[in-house]
Amino acid sequence: MSENNQEFKPKGTMAILLIFVLTLILLWGSVFLILLSRGMTVGV
Amino acid sequence: MSTNTYELSAAEKKFVGWHVFFAVAALSVGALFGPLQALEHSGLDLYPYLKPVFKSYYQGLTLHGVLNALVWTTFFITGFLTLAVSKGLERPMKYPKLNAVGFWTMVVGLVTAAIPLLLDEASVLYTFYPPMKANWAFYLGLTLVVVGSWIEGYGMYYTFAAWRKENPGVRSPLAALGSVITMVMWQIATLGVAVEILTMLLPWSLGLIEGTDPQLARTYFWFTGHPLVYFWLLPAYLSWYSFLPKQVGGKLFSDSLARFAFWLFLLLSVPLGFHHQYVDPGVPAGWKFLHAILTYSVFLPSMMTAFTVVATLEKAGRARGGKGLFGWLRTLPWNNPSVTAQLLGGILFFFGGIGGLANASYNVNLVLHNTAWVPGHFHLTVASAVTMSFMGITYWLVPYVTGKKLISDKAAHWANWLWFTGMVIFSNAMHVVGLLGAPRRTPLGLAPYIPEEWSGHLLRVGIGGTIMFFGIYTYIILLARTAWSKKAEAADVEIPLAQAEQDPQNTPEWLDKWVPWLVGTVVLLIVAYGPQLIDQISNISLNAPGGRVW
Repeated sequence: MSENNQEFKPKGTMAILLIFVLTLILLWGSVFLILLSRGMTVGV
Repeated sequence: MSTNTYELSAAEKKFVGWHVFFAVAALSVGALFGPLQALEHSGLDLYPYLKPVFKSYYQGLTLHGVLNALVWTTFFITGFLTLAVSKGLERPMKYPKLNAVGFWTMVVGLVTAAIPLLLDEASVLYTFYPPMKANWAFYLGLTLVVVGSWIEGYGMYYTFAAWRKENPGVRSPLAALGSVITMVMWQIATLGVAVEILTMLLPWSLGLIEGTDPQLARTYFWFTGHPLVYFWLLPAYLSWYSFLPKQVGGKLFSDSLARFAFWLFLLLSVPLGFHHQYVDPGVPAGWKFLHAILTYSVFLPSMMTAFTVVATLEKAGRARGGKGLFGWLRTLPWNNPSVTAQLLGGILFFFGGIGGLANASYNVNLVLHNTAWVPGHFHLTVASAVTMSFMGITYWLVPYVTGKKLISDKAAHWANWLWFTGMVIFSNAMHVVGLLGAPRRTPLGLAPYIPEEWSGHLLRVGIGGTIMFFGIYTYIILLARTAWSKKAEAADVEIPLAQAEQDPQNTPEWLDKWVPWLVGTVVLLIVAYGPQLIDQISNISLNAPGGRVW
């Protein structure tokens, strides 16, 4: 990386990626919980 | 670092322009059916009024999928990559006639496939799963489109090889390298659908064989079908890496990371098709598990891309006076419709990525696979990140090839924001109603089993789809008026090719070597697909006679 980049710390970028990961966990987890809350399909 | 001042010749501009013309022409027809599908879901079925011309919901859905997802994308991408290779390498195509042969082969293929589509003889949706049987011309036409794109790819390879010979030891320009990697990935990926059509669907539709093997056909199709998503996405990424940085007044944050991401996409895009076949009984669970793991591995280059692109934007935004953790977002040039389109596409893709990861998990997929969640998801990829990036590219590309200024920046902004707003409403409603169990590929307006809890969401599907229609037609009319209006001002547009922060010559040499990556790609493909393909081919049962279900 250039000297210019060594001075630049992409804090906003890291924050956005962190928000992405947290949103991913939240939405994925909620989908999973919604489906679990409906219970299992029982064969007849 | 050298400054690239290469300009395409008038003939090259015209050639690229023809690609954009056919791409947008296909989009203009395919997009007509979007609101018809969406309004049908919300209870307003307009298909009966179109009966003399368009026979059914399924004919409309097939035209929508084929023209938008296959034709708009493939024609635009081959044209854009041609431009990126020439500009990146600072030279014309080595064999322009070869590229011309490829392009016109695609056009012949498009016309050949369009005839049965428009005559309602090929309403088999864009996945064309047997035993649904289309007219042979549909399969032949698709084959010609793919073969034409291969020929255009060969033209790019020869050009790249000629440049390499003239420039030993010089790092490949990223725009050209990314383009050629995309074409190589596409040519490997489309082997699946080529084999499917040439060994099964085409002879079957011509009456040369009596039946097909739907399981094997699906395996061939998804060998191509998922990397097809990356064939759409990689040119958008190419724009984000190689052109967008200059448009926001900055430089690419890391040339090395960008190259590494492209190589990883080559390596990992193809051997993961079984994650589309989790519900297929003919694929053993172990192979589905392997492909699930490989699907998650694509998260790595995707996140690398997100980091590099957003860091590039952040640095540029801060240089423009942005302060604080997110203040740099506000200072980006939102007044440039080309930039706005790509940024909005990226924002939608944020959620497309999340939905995609949820889709890829085996147990969640078992519940969501055949629901409206899936089209909700892929509208956030191909119709958002990809289409909005392509829209953004055309805002400079069409003026570049026509020599005319975009006739109205305001109209371009309207197109962007309408499309974005409509997509937010539409895709959210599709995800939610899918989660509630609404099936996909179904004219829900005709279904007698719609529970009350779906109604509000289906109404939002109709509203979102209608807003998107106004957005895309604002875009199409804007481009047509720019290209053909005599009142359009002359413009001296340059291709916004960005530089990287680092001198590309300092990029590690292993990121500029083809052989290890190609060998790795082939080995991984053999490991991930070889045994299953041998098993399915050796147990082939051509016993599904097929038929017309529409």
